[in-house]
Amino acid sequence: MSFSIIILTALLLSSAVFSKGYVGIFVFSLIINGTMAVSYDIPGRSLGLISLGHAVFFGLGAYCFGISISKGLSFFPAVILSVILSFVGALMVTLLMAGLKHGYYSLATLGILIIFQKLFETLESITGGSAGLYIPETISKLHCNLLAAFLLLATAACHVLFSRSRWGLYSKETEASEEAAEAIGIPTRTVKILCLMTAAIPACMAGVLHLARNSHVSPVSGFSLTLSITALLASRVVPLRGILGPLIGALLITAAEEVIWTKFEGFNQAWFGLILLGAALYQGINFKRRKTISAAAENPLSR
Amino acid sequence: MIQVLISGLFLGGVYSLLAVGLSLAFGIMGVLNLAHGSMAVLAAILYKKTLVLYPFSPWTFCVLATPIFLGFGFLLHLIIVAPFRHLSLSAGVVASLIASLGVALILEDLFVWWQGWEPISTYITFPTFNLMGLKIPGLRAILLGMAAVTIGLSTLFLKKTDPGRSMRALAQDKEAASLYGINPVFTSMGALGLATILAGVAGIFYSSLYPLGPREGLDLTLKALFIVVAGGMGNLRGPAVAGLALGFIESFAGVLFTYTSTDTVVYSLLVVYLVLKRGGRQQ
Repeated sequence: MSFSIIILTALLLSSAVFSKGYVGIFVFSLIINGTMAVSYDIPGRSLGLISLGHAVFFGLGAYCFGISISKGLSFFPAVILSVILSFVGALMVTLLMAGLKHGYYSLATLGILIIFQKLFETLESITGGSAGLYIPETISKLHCNLLAAFLLLATAACHVLFSRSRWGLYSKETEASEEAAEAIGIPTRTVKILCLMTAAIPACMAGVLHLARNSHVSPVSGFSLTLSITALLASRVVPLRGILGPLIGALLITAAEEVIWTKFEGFNQAWFGLILLGAALYQGINFKRRKTISAAAENPLSR
Repeated sequence: MIQVLISGLFLGGVYSLLAVGLSLAFGIMGVLNLAHGSMAVLAAILYKKTLVLYPFSPWTFCVLATPIFLGFGFLLHLIIVAPFRHLSLSAGVVASLIASLGVALILEDLFVWWQGWEPISTYITFPTFNLMGLKIPGLRAILLGMAAVTIGLSTLFLKKTDPGRSMRALAQDKEAASLYGINPVFTSMGALGLATILAGVAGIFYSSLYPLGPREGLDLTLKALFIVVAGGMGNLRGPAVAGLALGFIESFAGVLFTYTSTDTVVYSLLVVYLVLKRGGRQQ
């Protein structure tokens, strides 16, 4: 826990010190990836759900903010409106997804991501079509970085509070056996909705701040499969419990992302694929190794 | 109206072929293979490259490329199935899903590097004939017939041959099948090989009818998954019928809405169907 606090404090300080230039962009990307990873980890770790569409909430937040600004609202009213609109949108998506399990959940989240991408490309008059939305600068880059750092702090606090609350314990029980959890009176559907919404809201806010800093969002960059995979990888790549795993994961993935984008132009998706494949294979090989060790320990002849 | 129906029938035939392979892989190994569509794109690219050297017809190339795609299937098995066979069913499904997504992403970039961004089109001219006043494109009719024959042969293979029976036994009870001397590794390898051959044939047929983008593999897989979920995972008849239905839906959506909104309609149907069916609960 103390190590997580050190990382969060370092990020908060660097967001204040480095707000401009390449380092400023890197720090901002790191904080946004951290927010996405920590929020992804809430249902990912406690319910064991693998979402391939976490970027839906990011895109929703960004577009709600962008549309509000283009309608003439100033920064704070636009943020408030986009939080409300994103909350409603995220609730609708979450209500749809809450009944699904395992591979079906992953598949449906991927489907939802593509629906939003295509839908926002089609609604050209509101969303700007495939070219996306451009908005003027509403707040300074320094304020954007600071707000993003506070968002990461709030998301980390939500993660810790949720996992230590009774709802966190309920979600663990739901993951272990939904039928057993229902039998002992746990409202599994409510647990899932609460857990998914706790993850959705920070992602929406990350989308808002992303647009506020970069002034542009398109269906491909907002509802991005790569962003969803980044969040998935960052939350899984370091096998540490709590918020430390996703935080270090975000640091590693953002650094890797920078190297991939600059050194391997045209192959960035392939590198992500390679990391995904590596992570999955590690899980499979590690499980087999642990199984072999435990089988050897149980077998008296092997001693 | 009838012309739209005919167009939907041809498109549906190719989708059926694609979905049958995916259903086979899920039914026997419990694998949601997201690289299935990429195998179709790979076949289309290989066919396009071969056409430059030898003007093979799509059906001749399908026969010639069968061993190659069997090999690709075996290779895919080593990457997305074999490492996860010790995991529980749900953990195995998720792990193979992530691994196959990784393979699909790698392949998409490799395809763009290999053949550029331009869509793959292997259209060959073929006469159109009239049937009671309706214009039937000859190539499409032949490919639809070939798709039906391929699905029929796959069904016969599964029902009437020993390797096919082994695959069905494995799908029903892995432990019991092993007790009867069926090797689960080789059998599932064969099943993924067969599924990859079907994906390859679908890719060759698709690129003969419509231009296929090098990054459309994941799109094709998702459509095939929609068909498989709608038609019933693990059987061949259901996905074949649902594939035809999707072809009709896409054709009608293209007429009723804009061309770009057809995907939105299709994916919305997928999500609505998944939610209504509560697929996860039935697992």
